[in-house]
Amino acid sequence: MAENSGHVRGRRARVEARSLRKGNGALHLSDRVTGACLVALGGVTAYGASLQPGVPGQDVGPSVFPMIIGCGLILCGAMIALGIGHSFEAPEEVVPAEPGQAVPQPPRFAEWRAFLPPLLLIFYMLAVEHLGFVLTAAAITLAVSLAMGARWRLAVPLAVLAPLGIHLVFFKLLRVPLPDGLLAMPW
Amino acid sequence: MTDLLEAFRMVGQMDVLIAILASAIYGLVVGSLPGLSATMATALLVPVTFYLSPIAAVATIITSSAMAIFSGDIPGCLLRIPGTPASAAYTDESYAMTRKGQAELALGTGLWFSAIGGIVGTLALLLMAPALAEVALNFSTFEYFWLALLGLMCATLVARSSPVKAIASMLLGLLFACVGMENPAGTPRFTFGMTDLLGGIEPLPALVGVFAVSQVMRALAEAEPPPLPRRRFGSILAGQWSLTKRYQWPMWRGNIVGIIIGVLPGAGADMAAWVSYAMSKRFSKEPQKFGTGHPEGLVESGASNNASLASGWVPALLFGIPGDTITAIAIGVLYMKGLNPGPTLFTERASSMYALYIIFILANIIMIPLGIIMIRVAATVLRAPRASIMPIILLLCAVGAFATGNNLFAVLLVAFFGVVGYVMERNGYPVAAMVLGIVMGTMVEQSFVTSLIKSDNSLMPFIERPISAVLAAITAGALLWPVVAWILRRTAARRVAPQRG
Amino acid sequence: MNPMSRRGILATTAALAGAATLARPALAQARYPARPLQMIVPWGAGGGTDATARIIAALLEKELGQPVNVVNRTGGSGVVGHSAIATAAPDGYSIGIITVEITMMHWQGLTELTYANYTPLGLMNRDAPGVQVSASSPYKDIKALAEGIKNSPPGKLKASGTGQGGIWHLALVGWLQAMGLKPDHVRWVPSNGAAPGMQDLVAGGIDIVPCSIPEARAMLDAGRARSLAIMAQQRDPQFPDIPTLKESLGVDYQTAVWRGIGAPLKLPPEIASTLTGALERVYKSAEYSDFMKSRGFGMDWGDGAGFGKVMAETDAAMGTAMKAAGLAKS
Repeated sequence: MAENSGHVRGRRARVEARSLRKGNGALHLSDRVTGACLVALGGVTAYGASLQPGVPGQDVGPSVFPMIIGCGLILCGAMIALGIGHSFEAPEEVVPAEPGQAVPQPPRFAEWRAFLPPLLLIFYMLAVEHLGFVLTAAAITLAVSLAMGARWRLAVPLAVLAPLGIHLVFFKLLRVPLPDGLLAMPW
Repeated sequence: MTDLLEAFRMVGQMDVLIAILASAIYGLVVGSLPGLSATMATALLVPVTFYLSPIAAVATIITSSAMAIFSGDIPGCLLRIPGTPASAAYTDESYAMTRKGQAELALGTGLWFSAIGGIVGTLALLLMAPALAEVALNFSTFEYFWLALLGLMCATLVARSSPVKAIASMLLGLLFACVGMENPAGTPRFTFGMTDLLGGIEPLPALVGVFAVSQVMRALAEAEPPPLPRRRFGSILAGQWSLTKRYQWPMWRGNIVGIIIGVLPGAGADMAAWVSYAMSKRFSKEPQKFGTGHPEGLVESGASNNASLASGWVPALLFGIPGDTITAIAIGVLYMKGLNPGPTLFTERASSMYALYIIFILANIIMIPLGIIMIRVAATVLRAPRASIMPIILLLCAVGAFATGNNLFAVLLVAFFGVVGYVMERNGYPVAAMVLGIVMGTMVEQSFVTSLIKSDNSLMPFIERPISAVLAAITAGALLWPVVAWILRRTAARRVAPQRG
Repeated sequence: MNPMSRRGILATTAALAGAATLARPALAQARYPARPLQMIVPWGAGGGTDATARIIAALLEKELGQPVNVVNRTGGSGVVGHSAIATAAPDGYSIGIITVEITMMHWQGLTELTYANYTPLGLMNRDAPGVQVSASSPYKDIKALAEGIKNSPPGKLKASGTGQGGIWHLALVGWLQAMGLKPDHVRWVPSNGAAPGMQDLVAGGIDIVPCSIPEARAMLDAGRARSLAIMAQQRDPQFPDIPTLKESLGVDYQTAVWRGIGAPLKLPPEIASTLTGALERVYKSAEYSDFMKSRGFGMDWGDGAGFGKVMAETDAAMGTAMKAAGLAKS
């Protein structure tokens, strides 16, 4: 019954999982790896916590809480690596595709293209003061929509209109001080 | 009685009515934009209230916050990007309903039960304010500690993945909450010498990162998902009445839990939604349907977070203690307009108080027609091509994060949490649990350390005081539940092994 | 009522349309200011500092004839915003509201910034802490409380109202030292601001909250708490029943939080005097005092030099208290 009602979401997850396995699934790591990462993170946290200075008048200093978290992370990481609690995870086994529905092929370098948005946000942070909001935003819009396979006919008008609209709303209505940079808006 | 008539006259002023309508639209729009929270919607209104009459000023705050909390459900449902932290608890659920082609039912549920929750919360405020305030005053840090722990435990109940991974995600969130100097010791922790980290990591950039940015990342990595079947967007309110009858008990439980949590200073709509969603799943007859597009949890938590919004005003109005960040702002406005919080507000300025109640109810009533229009408009994003929606969402992430403190560092945080959220999702770690950890982290540590200082390092008051004893027992139960369930399930699985799958 | 409400409508529509600028009478058409000013607030929107900054900005706008835009630059517990004020261009178009934390952060080693990194323009507000106890407390006046503190074993009584090393913690430390007691004789329970501290006071978790009187006002009005004394030179005209420490206890100790307007260093003197003059007129305006009274905030004026002196004095006092409490890094 759970299977039945969950089939839509489940199918999506399965498509995802399969597309990852076929493409370069560099980020789909085994539980062993993520568990080990958590153990390492917990260790670093506990070490960092032990360096915290004591505070006069407080017996429970700033180190105790991170120390507990660090130990918890080590414990959880170890359990995950050993596969304890795995039985609770929603089943993710591969099922044959539904008849008549072509499995969409993931785009090339799919996994690495995913890092475009965070890189664009960093670009925004570095460039917005110099270029101004409108130009930076236009560049980001253009990059994302083209990367998603939009045609120039859609991407260019979008890159012009979306930044202007957002600037109007945030600058004028919400009074957020967005930098003008090279291109000041008339409002 | 004359007070009541006077109150109606005060609310009936043209400027008040216009203020309510305008701030309702404003709240709906701001709440639905990813990266802008209900708190921010209210904060941005403060300068505007300078120019308004007292009642109109308070009306804008009440109306816009109620609308923003509801409309935070909209992007969560349509795009799996919660608009406010209060919606994060049930975002997966409502998005699953959208994938099943029930977007209108999911959004209608959010709207209908938000309005009910708001009205029930107001009635509680109206009838029981002094009594509720006494309850709130009896909550000391010992009780808050257990409450915060209980809130954290919700992470394991809500998640559909392995409870161990849920706890790991939550611990990760707690770790992020450790950053900065907003800890009981007041010393900078894990800041790596960065000034921007001194203030700690706010929940909002984390929320925007793990939900919105990682969604854009996924959209780039995956092929276009099979399009939703094209069909007319159905009626939004149809079916709500039958849901109300069917899930009457969860709805009332959501209202009551929301009222209680809202009254407690320091615990707001976010926590109300989490606790109610978890309770709904725990006590449901069909818990296995949760997370697959099942309205029961939406009913309970949708009612709960709006109920908490109204009852959050109780300590604010009686003692000037803010229940959450929204009422903290509201208290400032009340003082500025000469409506000083305190018991005298209820006796000497009774007409103003009644006017506030009327505004609350009015706001929750006009929420329904305005919300329907908003949902209809917003639903067009389901039909728009992904390549035009995703760039705009990314821009909103950047601008929304920046706008919280006019600090570009928040944009960097959003990018960081985007990557964190993406990697976690890929590997089956629930990101919502991490957001919960960030939201609750400071409260857990603060209440634990201050309790120990107050009790001279004795642990006894944690379990001696009557309320804290009850809360401790509930926490212990919630903590042990996954283990018990795991054992039960193993034995059951062994018994009926062939039927599994 | 009719013309009133019509004005209300206009204000509502205009304001919500986003045009929240006041009508600008062209009072001064001098060379400075020729374009809008920006006022940086190191704290978040909606708080007390933000509200004060916004009323000052609105009134300054009338005086200067140019818009004054309030910009909240939050982050880093106030460090980010304060350094944004200090590092802005000293052209008179970037000013900011400086709060008492500037005299504390550098002692804790959080930043290199001190009060000396600013051109002080005007002190606008000052609030002294009161000594609040619960209404059910056995200490009926400040003498009884002082005796009670002296006779109790160290660490027995607890106080709260801000974080560890926060301004009210230091006020308590200073008061204890002035009575000849150790700084940790009353144990400090860190809290996330004055409001949770007051709540815990009423709930019976702690004994004393030395926060400012406006912060305690709602509980005082509700009859749940009592203010026994104020750590100031004179009584507060808004709360005339609360005696000073000196008159009631003979302990001459005073401290305060304050807010003032400052600009980066090397601000041209003629611009500084224009701004100080405008701020003084703002301070003396009826709107400003009405606003401060409604919020319960204390009024205190100091021109550039006067504000500078206040900052220097506070800085020295904070340094002493923080070193005594073991909170200073240097």
